[in-house]
Amino acid sequence: MPDARQPAELVLAAASGDQSAWDGLVARFGARMWAVARACGLGEQDAADAVQGAWLRLLEHLYDLKDPAGVGAWLATTTRREALLLLKKAKPGPGVLDVTHEPDPESAVLEADGNRLLWKTVATLKEPCRSLLTLVATDLGSRQVAVRLGLPVGSVGPTRARCLQKLRTLISLQETVQ
Amino acid sequence: MIEDEYFLAALRLASGHDPIPGHVAAAARDAYGLLIPHAVTARPAGYSTARGVRGAEGPQMIRFVTDGLTFDLEVTVGDGLIDVAGQVGPVPGHGCHVDVRTPHLTLTRRLADKGQFAATGLPPGWLSVVCHRPGHAPVATRWVRVRP
Repeated sequence: MPDARQPAELVLAAASGDQSAWDGLVARFGARMWAVARACGLGEQDAADAVQGAWLRLLEHLYDLKDPAGVGAWLATTTRREALLLLKKAKPGPGVLDVTHEPDPESAVLEADGNRLLWKTVATLKEPCRSLLTLVATDLGSRQVAVRLGLPVGSVGPTRARCLQKLRTLISLQETVQ
Repeated sequence: MIEDEYFLAALRLASGHDPIPGHVAAAARDAYGLLIPHAVTARPAGYSTARGVRGAEGPQMIRFVTDGLTFDLEVTVGDGLIDVAGQVGPVPGHGCHVDVRTPHLTLTRRLADKGQFAATGLPPGWLSVVCHRPGHAPVATRWVRVRP
C-alpha cells in the first residue's frame, strides 16, 4: 500500500522519528534514484553506493532541508552528484562533499507521472533515434549500440545527444499543448 | 549535459528494464537507523594520501572540522576491509566515546588520553565517525565512501 502522504509530510514525519515515513520516501523516490545513477553510467555496485550516499546525505540534512516538498528533486540531484563524484574518483576534500546546491530543475522530468508519454514520443521518432534511445535506455554500451545500428562507435554519443534533444523538444511541445 | 542524464533516467525508469534491486531499496530503508537526531555535522577540511610500499596507495588522511572539534582520520584499506585510526581534538575529556559507523556495522571505542581511537575490520563503503561527549550534542563526520 503506497504511503499517501505528500513528500513534505514524509520528510517532517521522518525527522520526528517515523520510520514508516522514511520507508515512504524510499518507496516513492528509490527507483528514480537508481535510474539516475545508472543513467550516469555506473555499474551495479557503484550505482548502489551512489544511491546509498544520497540517502545518507538526506539523513545529514533531514532537519535543515530548505524545501521539503522538493525532496524528490533534491534526492535525484544528490544521486547524480554522488554518481559523478564516484566516476571522477573524487577524494573527500573541502567543498567536494558539500550539499548546499539547489536541485537541478532538469530533474523535474523524473517527477512526471506520465513517463509512458516519453516512450510514446520515442515511438514517433524516426530512425536511428527510435532504436538508439531504446537500446541506450536498456543498458547497451556504445559499442553494442553501434554494432546493432550499423553506426560508427564514435558517433553514438553525439547521435544520442541529438535524439534526446529531439525528444525534449517534442515533449515540451506536448506540454505546451496540454 | 545535465538534461541528458535525467532524460535517460526517465526513459530507463519508464522502460522498467532495470528496476532498483531489492537489496538497494532495503539498504535505503535501513539507513534510517543511522539517524542521530540533531547531531552536529563535521565537514571535510583536508585530505591527503600517503605513499605505501612499492608505490602502492597508503593510508588516506581525512580531516573533519566543526566549531570546537576536529577529527583526524587515517583510513587504511587492506584485505578488502577498512581500518580506521583517529584522533579527536582538543581532547574532549573524561567519559567520551566515538562510534565508528558503517551502514552494516558500528564499533564503539573509548577515547584514549590524547583523544585517539582505532577500529579495524570494517566493511568497505560508507563511513562516518560520531563523537559523544557528556553534556554536548553528538558530533558526526559527514559520510565518506571508502573502497579499495
